[in-house]
Amino acid sequence: MKIESRSEAVIGFSESLGRLLPQGVTLFAAGLSGFLVLFIGLPVAMVVLMSFRTGFPGEVVPYTLENYATVYLTPRTYEVLLNTIFFAVSSVAITLVIAVPLVWILMRTDIPFKKTIYVLLTIGILIPVFLRTIAWILLLSPRIGLVNKWLQDFFDLSEPPLNLYSLTGMAFVQGVSFVPGAFFMLAAAYRSMDPSLEEAAYTAGVSKLRTFLKINIPITFPAIAAVMVYLFMTAIAVFEVPAIVGLPARIHVLSSLIFTSTTPSTGLPDYGMAGAYGAIMLILGLTLAFLYVRLVKQGKKYTVITGRGYRPREIALGRWKWAALAFVFAYLSIEVFIPFSVLLWASLLPYLQLPSAEALSSLTLKHYIEMPNHVGVRPFVNTLILMFSVPTITMILSVLVSWIVIRTQVSFRGFMDTLVFIPHAVPGILMAVGLAYLGLAYRDYFPLYGTVLIIVLAHTINWIAYGTRTTNSVMIQVHRELEEAGRVAGASSARVLWKVVLPLIAVGVLNSWVWIGMLSYREVTMALTLLTRSNVVISTVVWQFWGSGWVPQVSALGVVLILFAALVVGAVRFALSRVGEIGAAS
Amino acid sequence: MISIRALQKSFRAQQGRVDALRAIDLEVAEGEFCVLLGPSGCGKTTTLRCVAGLERPDGGEIEIAGKLVNSAARRVYVPTERRDIGMVFQSYAIWPHMNVFQNVAFPLTEGRTRFSKREVADKVARALKRVQLDGLGDRPATDLSGGQQQRVAMARAMVTEPKILLMDEPLSNLDARLREQMRVELRKITKSVGVTVLYVTHDQAEALSLGDRVCVMNAGEILQIASPHEVYERPANLFVAQFVGEMNFVPGKIAAQGRIECSLGSLAASPPNGGTVGAPVTLAIRPEHVRVAPAPSHGSANTLGKVTSKNYLGDAALLEIEVNGVCLLAKMPGDTDLRVGQNALVEFPAQRWHVFVG
Repeated sequence: MKIESRSEAVIGFSESLGRLLPQGVTLFAAGLSGFLVLFIGLPVAMVVLMSFRTGFPGEVVPYTLENYATVYLTPRTYEVLLNTIFFAVSSVAITLVIAVPLVWILMRTDIPFKKTIYVLLTIGILIPVFLRTIAWILLLSPRIGLVNKWLQDFFDLSEPPLNLYSLTGMAFVQGVSFVPGAFFMLAAAYRSMDPSLEEAAYTAGVSKLRTFLKINIPITFPAIAAVMVYLFMTAIAVFEVPAIVGLPARIHVLSSLIFTSTTPSTGLPDYGMAGAYGAIMLILGLTLAFLYVRLVKQGKKYTVITGRGYRPREIALGRWKWAALAFVFAYLSIEVFIPFSVLLWASLLPYLQLPSAEALSSLTLKHYIEMPNHVGVRPFVNTLILMFSVPTITMILSVLVSWIVIRTQVSFRGFMDTLVFIPHAVPGILMAVGLAYLGLAYRDYFPLYGTVLIIVLAHTINWIAYGTRTTNSVMIQVHRELEEAGRVAGASSARVLWKVVLPLIAVGVLNSWVWIGMLSYREVTMALTLLTRSNVVISTVVWQFWGSGWVPQVSALGVVLILFAALVVGAVRFALSRVGEIGAAS
Repeated sequence: MISIRALQKSFRAQQGRVDALRAIDLEVAEGEFCVLLGPSGCGKTTTLRCVAGLERPDGGEIEIAGKLVNSAARRVYVPTERRDIGMVFQSYAIWPHMNVFQNVAFPLTEGRTRFSKREVADKVARALKRVQLDGLGDRPATDLSGGQQQRVAMARAMVTEPKILLMDEPLSNLDARLREQMRVELRKITKSVGVTVLYVTHDQAEALSLGDRVCVMNAGEILQIASPHEVYERPANLFVAQFVGEMNFVPGKIAAQGRIECSLGSLAASPPNGGTVGAPVTLAIRPEHVRVAPAPSHGSANTLGKVTSKNYLGDAALLEIEVNGVCLLAKMPGDTDLRVGQNALVEFPAQRWHVFVG
């Protein structure tokens, strides 16, 4: 008759602390929700609003369906939609082909240099996608691409053999860029699988391969599917690759079309059209996000949190070690080494050329020395403002929201959790366009247009979804009884939050703080959409330089950007022990 | 000291509402050690958490030391932090970011009443000494063994000298040997302080050895409240008989006044009150009361049986004996000569039979 009384505790869990807290908590939660509704909802509402209006933001015009008519009666729209889907599907395919073996190799085998590989993958996320794209253009462009030039010289070809300017080329760069993110998401899913499930199969006499097929795959399938949907959702919204590769080649996808509508090279911005295009993106994003949440929920059914830091024995690779290392190295080259080397090389030359004696003799640090003159102080100051204020505001909001969602019984906590998840589903470019419209059309009430604060706002909205996911997960790990013990000891809820909960989640929160700071630092899409003369940040400076064709200057700035990111990752990794998992949850 | 009246609580579960507590009543006297015993899901933890104020009951009242802390009808709810209680959690809930001293000092520095540095140091030192952890104050909480964490949790719960100590399966995460040691110590400590204890467990041995009174619960109801001796010797109903200790059950029916008919034959046993002739009953007898002998012996209700298995435990041996198609468990001294396959005479002392309706 010795039955564990676990299920009792589980039933009790549904009724948690918060229901018992004084009214103050409910009031506070209501206030916070109201703020978040405005904070997240207004930009989205603006996108919808602008799609029913014509003319410049703020012009008093009647509502109309004209924009929708123009957009949906043009065959080109459907071409662009097809492009978008082709681009997204191929990107995700490329990502998974690389990421799945990578997860298996790093999680399950005894491959050497694991820690180094983790660090490089983390740096891989922090290299802005547009820099990687630029580097690959410097290699594979038919006009200036070094690889093309070399192949032409070597084989004496009249035509450049490779061309990055295609949907496939775009998908290649994008797919490769997604790998580290996908890796960390998949690794997290894999890690949450109880190893004893696998071992139970072994002890039942099932072979390793059959276990992998019959146990591991079915159990992790919802997680893999969730990652696929997430990547697909992101791929539909990304802007950097479509802009840098697609726009010059006149290959449009939805995001670049939205961008060119609001920021045309000639003529007036057309927010109405952007809104109508945005509506498709919004519907796609919300649908996919819904699917994603469903899949994640399904995946959770299988995860067992044992709390023991115990892992099954690693598979000894033996002679295959070199093959595995070669695979990882090849990937890291494409992801990190080659782009960085190309940028470094280009930054040291007066103009882009193949390595040669002549090139070596003309190496110069000129572009680094002159950089401050070209860039000025302002972008650095603005970037610093972003890097500190965005993560700070995001994490404060995230901790508060997570505490209410996870630890209290406030009746609308589910709504709050969904609310802060919405930015995951709304592409950053749409959020930014919405905010720009808000700033332009209602500048009297919302006088932020043109300031760096509007970028802070855009970034905070965008990453609050990520922030709350991480604070939710660290908060769940804090055993409920730790908090209850504090209350039994006689401390008030606020004191328990401050003295018990915060110190326990501090490392996790700090981790995300640094991570969000770095993401803000490398972000360009929203900063670009909201760009005016006074709120330039470093990432948009690079973009502008590239637009002016200043290859060596772009490269020099890119090298500095990457080195700084690597430095931060290294420093954080040194300071905190669990940084290998930085950015892992999303 | 603790007075629970018509306490009611239900939870929303996936299958609909689950009644965790169905209007239970319980009085715990000052200085008493009261154990809530029951299987998983019986409502014992919910009761404890309601007393702690960690759950809010749907109905009924709770009084602690004469002060109403919960009344659904009168909308009274005193939050946990304002109740004069100490609590030991199943997971111990030792805060990993503090050392032993800080953990124990927390109720004094952040709690209901704040104390001066000197008093805190004094009280913590005394509390640690009481649980035999003196000198370990600087130890990080994460460096403690399970048993030590248990002691820190005790020290922390008692450092404010609360009137009431609540314990939620505090020994269930310890290994068997340590658990028995701690059982003895726990009773000693709480008795020396004179604190009123409400203790939750699913382990009947723990309940019998610790409690001044044991309160057996099932499915949100209290089935019996009595001294450990009484609960064991005179279980109030079939469930208690089944849950507390080992018991043999034999179905039967009332044959006449003082006689019960069953597959073991016609036995002399007093039927329960109000049992009419012919009514179905269940006979129950504890293994240690079943007498087994290899040779014929004289006494009441001798029956021939056969030993079908033997489970040797050192100090005792559990024999399974088949009698007239009924399988009975008998507890014998460890040195018994009876072997599997042997025929044996089985004897049931009449006064040892419990008879339950149904």
